[in-house]
Amino acid sequence: MKSVSQSFEPASVQPAARNVNSFIAPFDWRLPVIGLCVFVGYYLGAKVGFALTFKPYPVSALWPPNSILVAALLLTPRRIWWFVLLAAFPAHCAAQIQSHVPPLMILCWFVSNSFEALIGAGLTRYLVRGPIQFTSLRNAGIFCLCVVFAGPFLSSFLDAAFVRWNAWGQGSYWDLIRIRFFSNTLAALIVAPLIVTWATNGIQRLRRARLSRYLEACLLLFCLFSTSFAVLYKFRPGADSAFLFLTLPFLLWAAARFGALGTSTALSIIGFLAIWSGSHGHGPFSGGTAEQNTLSIQIFLIVLSIPMLFLAAVIEERATGETERRESESRFRIVADSAPVLIWMAGVDKLCTFFNKPWLTFTGRSLEQEVGNGWAEGVHPDDLQKCLKIYTEAFDARKAFVMQYRLRRYDGEYRWISDQGVARHDAQGNFVGYIGSCVDVTELINKERVLHEFEERVVLAAEAAHLGVWEMDTTTHDLWMSDAARTLFQFDSEIRLDHAMVQDRVHPEDRALRDSAIKHAIETQGQYEIEYRALLPDGTLRWLASRGRCVTGENGTGSRLIGVVIDITPQKEAQDLFRLAAEGSHLGVWHWDEIAKTLTWDGATRDMFGVSADAEITIDTFYRALHPDDAEQVKQIWRQALELQLPYQIEFRTQRTDGTIRWVDARGRGYYDEAGKPLWMSGVLFDITDRKEAELQAQQNRDELSHLSRVAAMGELAASIAHELNQPLSGITSNAAAGQRFIDRGNVDLRELHDLLGDIVADGRRAGDVIRGIQGMVKKDVSAHRRINLNDVVISVVHMVKPSAVLHSCELGTFLDPDLPMVEGDPVQLQQVLLNLIINAFDAMDDTPLSRHREVVIATERDGDSVTRVSVRDYGVGISAEARDRLFEQFFTTKTKGLGMGLSIVRSIVESHGGKIAADNADGGGARFQFTLPASAKTSVV
Amino acid sequence: MMILPNSLVFAIDDDRSVRTGLTRLLRSAGYKSEIFESASDFLKREQHAGPACVIVDVRMPGLNGMDLQESLIQRRREEQLIFITGHGDISMCAQAMKAGAVDFLPKPFRDDDLLGCVERALIRSAEQRRRSAEENEARTLLGLLTPRELEVMQLVVAGMLNKQIAGELGTAEKTVKVHRGRAMRKLNVTSVAELVRLTEKGCLAPVANV
Repeated sequence: MKSVSQSFEPASVQPAARNVNSFIAPFDWRLPVIGLCVFVGYYLGAKVGFALTFKPYPVSALWPPNSILVAALLLTPRRIWWFVLLAAFPAHCAAQIQSHVPPLMILCWFVSNSFEALIGAGLTRYLVRGPIQFTSLRNAGIFCLCVVFAGPFLSSFLDAAFVRWNAWGQGSYWDLIRIRFFSNTLAALIVAPLIVTWATNGIQRLRRARLSRYLEACLLLFCLFSTSFAVLYKFRPGADSAFLFLTLPFLLWAAARFGALGTSTALSIIGFLAIWSGSHGHGPFSGGTAEQNTLSIQIFLIVLSIPMLFLAAVIEERATGETERRESESRFRIVADSAPVLIWMAGVDKLCTFFNKPWLTFTGRSLEQEVGNGWAEGVHPDDLQKCLKIYTEAFDARKAFVMQYRLRRYDGEYRWISDQGVARHDAQGNFVGYIGSCVDVTELINKERVLHEFEERVVLAAEAAHLGVWEMDTTTHDLWMSDAARTLFQFDSEIRLDHAMVQDRVHPEDRALRDSAIKHAIETQGQYEIEYRALLPDGTLRWLASRGRCVTGENGTGSRLIGVVIDITPQKEAQDLFRLAAEGSHLGVWHWDEIAKTLTWDGATRDMFGVSADAEITIDTFYRALHPDDAEQVKQIWRQALELQLPYQIEFRTQRTDGTIRWVDARGRGYYDEAGKPLWMSGVLFDITDRKEAELQAQQNRDELSHLSRVAAMGELAASIAHELNQPLSGITSNAAAGQRFIDRGNVDLRELHDLLGDIVADGRRAGDVIRGIQGMVKKDVSAHRRINLNDVVISVVHMVKPSAVLHSCELGTFLDPDLPMVEGDPVQLQQVLLNLIINAFDAMDDTPLSRHREVVIATERDGDSVTRVSVRDYGVGISAEARDRLFEQFFTTKTKGLGMGLSIVRSIVESHGGKIAADNADGGGARFQFTLPASAKTSVV
Repeated sequence: MMILPNSLVFAIDDDRSVRTGLTRLLRSAGYKSEIFESASDFLKREQHAGPACVIVDVRMPGLNGMDLQESLIQRRREEQLIFITGHGDISMCAQAMKAGAVDFLPKPFRDDDLLGCVERALIRSAEQRRRSAEENEARTLLGLLTPRELEVMQLVVAGMLNKQIAGELGTAEKTVKVHRGRAMRKLNVTSVAELVRLTEKGCLAPVANV
């Protein structure tokens, strides 16, 4: 049992209540403890109360037990209040019995005390939810109202009534009330807060307090105690009551620095000191009557305590508020720094005050660099204006905003940020600034851009290819069409479309087909492919090809038909034309599938091969139908084309089953895979029988003409032929006659005779050669192509033509290249060419006077490795400008007599040998005819 | 058939067979011959002093037969020409004959024809030579006369009497007689008839008057 003198030590005034601070304390072991504490506290309190009585005044200035009871009730759960009261009763009785108070009085007092406590605690608990702490103004106010005022006030009536009823005390009813009221109130003010504050968190704070706090508390207590002692004890009763205010600074200090705890402790110190001093005749409250002293102390202390409690409450409130705020701020900071987004905060002046750690890490800058408007330095210059504009506008309107801008990352790269900011307000609803969060959306934006670009490209491609894209909802039949598709149907770009509108523009004959195709596609959830005609409002007819696919939506609901439509009018028209042309021109089409080894012929082709329309055909059908003479070559060319990727083109004969022969021109092209392997080949066949026959006829005519020309040439040379024969003949006759004369004379030199006869033989042979040459020239069939040297041809022709030259009084000159390559050709035809040219040369020089140079020069020349050139040059009249272009024409001649066939035949011979002929005027007068022949050239096979 | 002494037959043809044949034929007939390939080669050879004929091909490269004929005429040569030809040059034939060719033979010619021509040609050539010689002689003699004497002789040949001649020339008859006498002595003629023959040989143009 602590004695009263020890009760001035704040730490040990009421240790009994220290365990009673938790509502949810388990019942079992605490209940007896609580009871004990209450009992002890109440008893001690009573004793203290007795001690604080101003003798002989019977009423104590301060009656603690009620307040102890109130405090106990405030600290314990309502359900055990009955126990608390029960625990207090014995203490009450014990205390009062010692004062020789009648039992009934004791009971009555207990009842009124309990009443007071219940009212006070009950009201307070009702009005204050949660723990009783003097940490808010409201709580303090309620405490004062209920515990300090209401309880004592109301119970005072009861108390006074009981006193009067028991005739215990003196004084009027109202006096008693007043006395009791002030006493209880003071106790409520001094004792109850002390107990409650220490009980709720006093010990904890003691434990947690730093050394400096301890020292400060000790200092404060020392000062307070000494001042109070000085003021309340040492001063004489008549001292100036103003000195009482000396305690005020320390009270304020206690309130400011130690909150409610400090205040209540300080108040209790001052209170006890004042009462004790006054009741023992010291201090300013010891003058006057006991009643007066009591009253003045009560008033002094009450007036001092109430504001102090309120002040403490306010200060605590603020401190709590501060702590809470700081705590809340630090909580916020933790959250902000661990968030995956970048967070910023701005104050009312638009300047930024806070950036969370992710932001700082992102930008790689420090908070000092970023606050205020420093963050704007990281924004991309192009986006800054827009960004600031949106921010300030939203800020001024206190509206939320979303904006996107580029922010520079720590590595210098600009990333797209989506910044969302909202206004924030304090508890009172005042605007205090903005808070926002940002997310790096670069990937998203890039993806969007790529997607957008892709979309654009697809649309552009579709537009460029005049592909219209369409999409139809299969349930609602709503239709979306791209601009290109709308153009095809001549729909405006804005109007809504549906299936019926399109069907309207489809050609009546194609509607049913199209409809069923669409239905089929929807039913089978498959493909849709159709070609149809569109009959447009302005009368245009279009062929359209439409392809689509059924696409099921997500969750298997709502399927769509999507596809493309393209204008195929040109192709259709071309196809029609082609078909007509093919039909009209006896064009056959064939197709060979190399993989499946199948051959397909259309009707015209079958006709050409004499195969019926439905007969099966294989590659053997084709081979068998070839004319035996052409079969090998055709097969070879065909295989070559297929395997070597050469174009296939060949003319050949087919032998139909009825024996007729047709000439056919086959052409084709192959299609190969990446490895070059043939996949298929297709092409066309022309029936060229008529043309071929005409060609053959023409060739025949040419040959005849050539022959006739040769004969004519021979005719022209008749004179020289005769001359050529005459020479050897005259030799023969002269020699023979001479031989006879030798014999007649008997003057026979056998050796001479032998020589003579040899000469005759030679001359005979020479004549024979001439004949043979002529025969060669005039014979009809001329197909003996062999490798020849043109020099030999020139020599033979010169020999043949020499007499003619003499006849024309012309000279013949030759310049033959010894290194001339061989050519492949018919010597007779080439002789014909040279003959013709030389005779022409003679004719050209007919009018040249004999005194002038009358010479025909024939030259052969090698031109590279593959060309031989032959020229025949005269010194005659030359070629006139008009004649120049028509020289080689048929039936063109500048001679008075002559068919004009010579040069055209010459050209055809040269060209059939694979060469070219040209004529021009030579320097020095006259004409030069030049032709080239390829060395060992292959000529075209007929 | 007699071969004239000192006669020579020339043959010009550009064809070898023909040349060989001709040579043999001529030799077999006993003639001496020289063969040329071209007319220009022949002209380079100096004139043969004796009866000569030339068998020449009409058509040859370079100088042909006709050109040769013309050339010989210009040079007043006595060779007689025989033309042979492998071409059927009828027009040439007439031209050649008119210009004094002996004959125009187409090839192949008969040996008799040719040899006959040769013989005739040589005779003619000899004749021609004799006549040429006589002419020269006459000319030489006539060249001895003075111009006056020549004048007188011309008039004598015309058949004029001395008196007439004197009157014609404007001189005395005596003078005429003197000239005449001297001329006759120079010319070595004794009669007017001889004189006439001489002047004819000398190809003196008669003066035609009266």
